[in-house]
Amino acid sequence: MATSEPREAEAEAETETEEGTTEPTLPAVASSEQYIKHPLQNRWALWYFKNDKSKSWTENLRLIAKFDTVEDFWALYNHIQQPSKLGFGCDYCLFKDGIKPMWEDDRNKLGGRWLMTLSKQQRHNDLDRYWMETLLCLIGESFDEASEDVCGAVVNVRPKGDKIAIWTGNCQNRDAIMTIGQQYKERLSVPVKALIGYQSHDDTSSKSGSTTKNMYTV
Amino acid sequence: MSADCQKTTSRAIPTRRVTINDAAHMPHDYSTTPGGTLFSTTPGGTRIIYDRKFLLDCRSSPVARTPPRCLPDIPGVTRPPSVHINNDKAHPPEQSLNNNCSTHTDKIAGEDAQFEMDI
Repeated sequence: MATSEPREAEAEAETETEEGTTEPTLPAVASSEQYIKHPLQNRWALWYFKNDKSKSWTENLRLIAKFDTVEDFWALYNHIQQPSKLGFGCDYCLFKDGIKPMWEDDRNKLGGRWLMTLSKQQRHNDLDRYWMETLLCLIGESFDEASEDVCGAVVNVRPKGDKIAIWTGNCQNRDAIMTIGQQYKERLSVPVKALIGYQSHDDTSSKSGSTTKNMYTV
Repeated sequence: MSADCQKTTSRAIPTRRVTINDAAHMPHDYSTTPGGTLFSTTPGGTRIIYDRKFLLDCRSSPVARTPPRCLPDIPGVTRPPSVHINNDKAHPPEQSLNNNCSTHTDKIAGEDAQFEMDI
């Protein structure tokens, strides 16, 4: 991506716009400001998984695109389907560049996920909104220091109810996990009474019944 | 810088010595030292954080209106390159793509409903 050269200037411009309101209210004159791209802390990769039973799991996983600026994120987001329009059995995964969206990756294998389980009705009401908020939390590094623990996020579109999860790298990092869980729940405006749980990938992959125990809840 | 700046005298940065007798006196956060020093940057440098509003404001940037280069063609996922974003709520080009997708999901939804009736 041709984003690397003007970084210094962008970083300065960005602090101005965050506090003041000068830039967003500029008239629609094609000023060069409009073409500035804002660098992200991380480069991210968006993956698509389609459940085709004639193929292996990894063959079904496909990289859509990578991006490392706010504008490149929107360029991608604006031109792909919302999760609610995907077929059943499909997933989107957004992961930091270099981390594969699978348990087996070195940076995931000791980790786990904050899991949001949605009802069927929520596909129309909440799914797309929750997913966008999740993406914004990740690329904007919304969890302060705990953002370092974030590996990525996954949305699963399933007939019985969709799921959205934020994956973190180490299920023993209690403080980071709790920070992420609390702020995530707040961002999605999930009612305080509705609990969301964090499960280790280890427990998820070796579960015997249909439920996995929660290591943490918020 | 103004021209009439006065000459300042230098002096040492004030320091304070804090004695730790017990582990319990150590601060909880890595970002603080005993006695309460705060660092404005994280060890690896400053983290680039964007709040929700700022990110949403960037959505309509002209740069974000064209699809990324080399976007793979994935049926039901990536839109046809000719679709302009301004059309997407009001208008049709999207529909052709949606049709594919929704017939697909309808079919599965049908199967699902039947599956539930069997139980």
